Amino acid sequence: MMIHYRFLLEELRYGGKQVITFVICVALSIATLTALNSFRRDVHGSLIDEARELQGGDIIIHAHQPISDKLQLAVDSLAQQNYLKQQKTFEFYTVVLSEIKDSSLLSSIKAVESAYPFFGTITLTSGLQLGEALEPGTVVVAQEVLDRLDRAIGDRLIIGDVAFTIADVVAFESMRPVSFLSFGPRIFISMTDLDQLGLLGRGSRVEHELLLQLSEPGDAEDITKILSASAVPRVERVETAASARSRVRTFFDNLLFFLSCISILTLMLSGIGMQGSLSAILYQKQKVIAVTKAFGASNRFLLTQYLIMVSFMGAFGSLIGIGLGYTIKRLFPLLLGDLVPQGVGYAFHPADTLEGIVLGILVVTVFTLLPLHRLGTVKPVMIFRHETGAAKRQAAPIITGIICSLFLSLLVIRQIDDVKIGIFFVLGLVLLIATVSLTASACLWLLKRAPLPTLALRQAAKSLYRPGNASRSIIVTLTSAISVLLVIFLLKLNLFATFIESYPENAPNLFCIDIQQDQKDLFQAVVGEEVLLFPVIRARLLSINDQPIDPVQERERKTDNLGREFNLTYRENLLDDEIIIGGNSLFEGTERLPPGVVALSVLDSIAEIGEIELDDRMRFNIQGVEIEAQVTSIRSRTESRLYPFFYFVFEPATLEAAPQTFFSAIHLPRELIPDMITAIVAQLPNVSTINVADVADRFGQLMKRLSVVITFFASFSIMAGCLILISTIFATRLDRIRETVYYKVLGADSNFVLLVLTCEHAMLALFSSIMAVIFAEVAAWLICTTVFNIVYQPHWYVAGLTVVCSIVLVIMIGLTSSFGIIQQRPAVYLRQQNGT
Amino acid sequence: MSDPILRAAHISKHYTIGERRAIVLNDISMQLEAGEFAVISGASGSGKTTLLTVLSGLDKPSNGRVWLDTQDITDFDENRLAPLRNRLIGFVFQAFHLVPSLTSMENIMFPAELNRDPDATEKASQLLHRVGLWEQRHNRPEQLSGGEKQRVAICRALINNPQLVFADEPTGNLDSENSREVVELLLELQQEFNTTLLLATHSSEISDRADRVLSLHDGRLVDNGYRQ
Ligand SMILES: Nc1ncnc2c1ncn2[C@@H]1O[C@H](COP(=O)(O)OP(=O)(O)O)[C@@H](O)[C@H]1O
Ligand SMILES: [Mg+2]
Repeated sequence: MMIHYRFLLEELRYGGKQVITFVICVALSIATLTALNSFRRDVHGSLIDEARELQGGDIIIHAHQPISDKLQLAVDSLAQQNYLKQQKTFEFYTVVLSEIKDSSLLSSIKAVESAYPFFGTITLTSGLQLGEALEPGTVVVAQEVLDRLDRAIGDRLIIGDVAFTIADVVAFESMRPVSFLSFGPRIFISMTDLDQLGLLGRGSRVEHELLLQLSEPGDAEDITKILSASAVPRVERVETAASARSRVRTFFDNLLFFLSCISILTLMLSGIGMQGSLSAILYQKQKVIAVTKAFGASNRFLLTQYLIMVSFMGAFGSLIGIGLGYTIKRLFPLLLGDLVPQGVGYAFHPADTLEGIVLGILVVTVFTLLPLHRLGTVKPVMIFRHETGAAKRQAAPIITGIICSLFLSLLVIRQIDDVKIGIFFVLGLVLLIATVSLTASACLWLLKRAPLPTLALRQAAKSLYRPGNASRSIIVTLTSAISVLLVIFLLKLNLFATFIESYPENAPNLFCIDIQQDQKDLFQAVVGEEVLLFPVIRARLLSINDQPIDPVQERERKTDNLGREFNLTYRENLLDDEIIIGGNSLFEGTERLPPGVVALSVLDSIAEIGEIELDDRMRFNIQGVEIEAQVTSIRSRTESRLYPFFYFVFEPATLEAAPQTFFSAIHLPRELIPDMITAIVAQLPNVSTINVADVADRFGQLMKRLSVVITFFASFSIMAGCLILISTIFATRLDRIRETVYYKVLGADSNFVLLVLTCEHAMLALFSSIMAVIFAEVAAWLICTTVFNIVYQPHWYVAGLTVVCSIVLVIMIGLTSSFGIIQQRPAVYLRQQNGT
Repeated sequence: MSDPILRAAHISKHYTIGERRAIVLNDISMQLEAGEFAVISGASGSGKTTLLTVLSGLDKPSNGRVWLDTQDITDFDENRLAPLRNRLIGFVFQAFHLVPSLTSMENIMFPAELNRDPDATEKASQLLHRVGLWEQRHNRPEQLSGGEKQRVAICRALINNPQLVFADEPTGNLDSENSREVVELLLELQQEFNTTLLLATHSSEISDRADRVLSLHDGRLVDNGYRQ
């Protein structure tokens, strides 16, 4: 290969700002991609690949009631044949009290056998094994329990009716890699103590787990199948560690998916930036290229030289990107804090560096192929005709285009890890660019013919229609950049609006669950005022219109699943925050229902998930008794906030006799809540309380953290976007300078020149940002309604602000890029113009 | 006798490139009477363009002063020069310098429109007919030949009926046939519009037709006086 070093050096030197832009764009995209992918690999490594550590066994059997005899027998018989070992655990939330009952804390209690766990690690501060430390009558607690109750090792705690001695402190628990997803700190108790707690029988929501360790882990799938056959459908879940969904995994899957989307957007923007700056470099050099060709340089020679130049810039950018990615990853602890699972490191592995290099090559290739291809279309004749503007665009060579989009699709699919969404992504992008460029052409055409009132405006409009028509590519670039940024912003706003609603002042802030029928009076007495008690009946949905609910399929849903246990209630009236949106009253036309079918009112959110309509039939299993119900109304809630709601409401007559507990929502001044909880639990140990104010706080903090993370990643997109803005406007600066000089020579004063420049940039920005707003709103709406399943708010003021900001920014950049000429005598600039 | 339309006193111009200081114009004084056709002649690189830009206010002299129509423009800022450039003077350049986004018609009209002249369209049409470019009125500069471009440039320089036209090697980029035509046109229009014409050239053919020739050599101007 022939390398012409001087040629290359000159090119790099004269490329100036554009070379820098190119390098930064490469660096930005590589940095976000590598940092994120590295983090993703780490999270996967510790959560997904180490599934057994996370789940505690090869197979996990899970139920909200005692394991059925049939399933237990099946397990026992496999155990006897030495296929597996088993152990039980129980897990539930309850409020524990300090010994003198002066303070309380909602905690996650886990009762374990002495061999717990089969897999994974639990480290105690004493260095002992959990089984050694946990003797009957003692508990092992998380540090948070000691801190919040102000106790120390050796002190006593009260759980249910029983006092326990605190024996040790948990430093690390691989089954619980993050703490932010749970409502209270961990307390381990010994299985032998469980019975005396007196909590299990009385409707407490206990998770029963059977952990299995296989002698041949490879048999996991088969044994799961065998055991599933003996399990009670919908009630008992038998899963391998690898396939078990956990909140932790779901959370990280979603977070990583969202961050991947942002990183892809950064990649797109950087790509546009790369393409733009390379085009600008080639555009500046057009005459030189034409001359070089006229002197006999072959296309191949030029292509080789520019290819080497691009590779050089790409390599340099990738290196910076890898370094930056490394730095970002080092920043993760600061950024993510306790969002990062314990045990996930911040190291940057050789694999990450390698990926950075491969990605660098791919990214640079994808985004430079087209501008480089156009190099071949520069004709020597350009020296003789003083054509301005870019080379007449030939229809982008089809093969090059196809290769680029193919590469791009692969990149996107790999990054988002979802073929369908990846393809939608790329298609959306192509559609965006095509639509924008068509609309841009149409608008420019109209503008050229529009009767504009002043000379400055006319002049601004005409300069948009300069030969070579760089305006269209500026508009496409600006529109893409602005819409991408706006999409991210709108998504963030909508997610947050849905998930952190400021909690209303007077709303109930203490929920009490599992109040027994015979405890109603005592409860009223403890609380001290008349409180509303909602009956709660636990049940499972069996079928909708005789279509059975498939629990396996249901668990795949990102929204609420229909296979879980539901809380039914009965009452005659609507609540204050409910309205009827389907039907006329809660139980309209009950008398017309066939015998054995009862009336049912359904909440709109679950109706949407299950595609349930008025008059649909639904079959429930209420603790062994099946009932058939017909939907007589659909309700909606007027305020979406953290307030108890019931999907399914029946007539009192239907459910009054069913086994039930009561639920109560109380409003108290915040500072009184802890004492009230202590009082309730001291008198009614089986009642679970939820300090909603506290939960809302925790949730708010989590969301703030996430917001920081998202903003951090989005800031790379913003950087790329601004870079594009600046570089595209600077790239076409020469055209504007030329015109400005001519206006001045012909006697225009600075007001006129400023006015033309302002109008020109305002038109560009106005057009681009309006297009961008439309695209962003549509895209964000699509994503919110299809991917996240949340209500979409267009936030028009943000859109308006975007338009205003873009206009101001573009005008500012445009004016600064041509400010020098306004106050100076034009002779110097005149000399630089080749003339037309 | 009336005041000179243009007067320069002791102007000099130098450029500093790195350490070196190149003196292009060295203590030049001159004046032009209204209605005359003067030529500045000199070899390429002798400073003709520099002198024209300094005299017309497109550039500032390093020393000395310049008067246009009795106003001392030496220290005028750009906004004070703007109306002078628009109404008092016109320019014709070697490299044409037409606004690329405008058609020939629009290029010619532009100075009149800046001047808010209600007859801009009419005047431009007349000029286009006059120079035989009516057919090409909708062509943009890239769609015109060199000779056509220069004719459009001449019309543009004259549309506001300026008292003084500066022409910097107007035939420098043209072949001999087109050169002759453009010079003829310039001279005819100079007569018709009764303007003063200061033209820089290195061609003796054009100098021969001037009322007066000033030759530029080593940064100094030698006045060869009026031709009889
Ligand atoms: N901006 C500048 N900086 C430095 N030197 C310049 C500049 N402009 C012109 N010159 C020099 O001034 C001299 C005169 O140039 P010019 O007036 O264009 O001559 P002419 O028009 O007679 O060919 C030349 O030697 C040229 O190199
Ligand atoms: Mg010259």
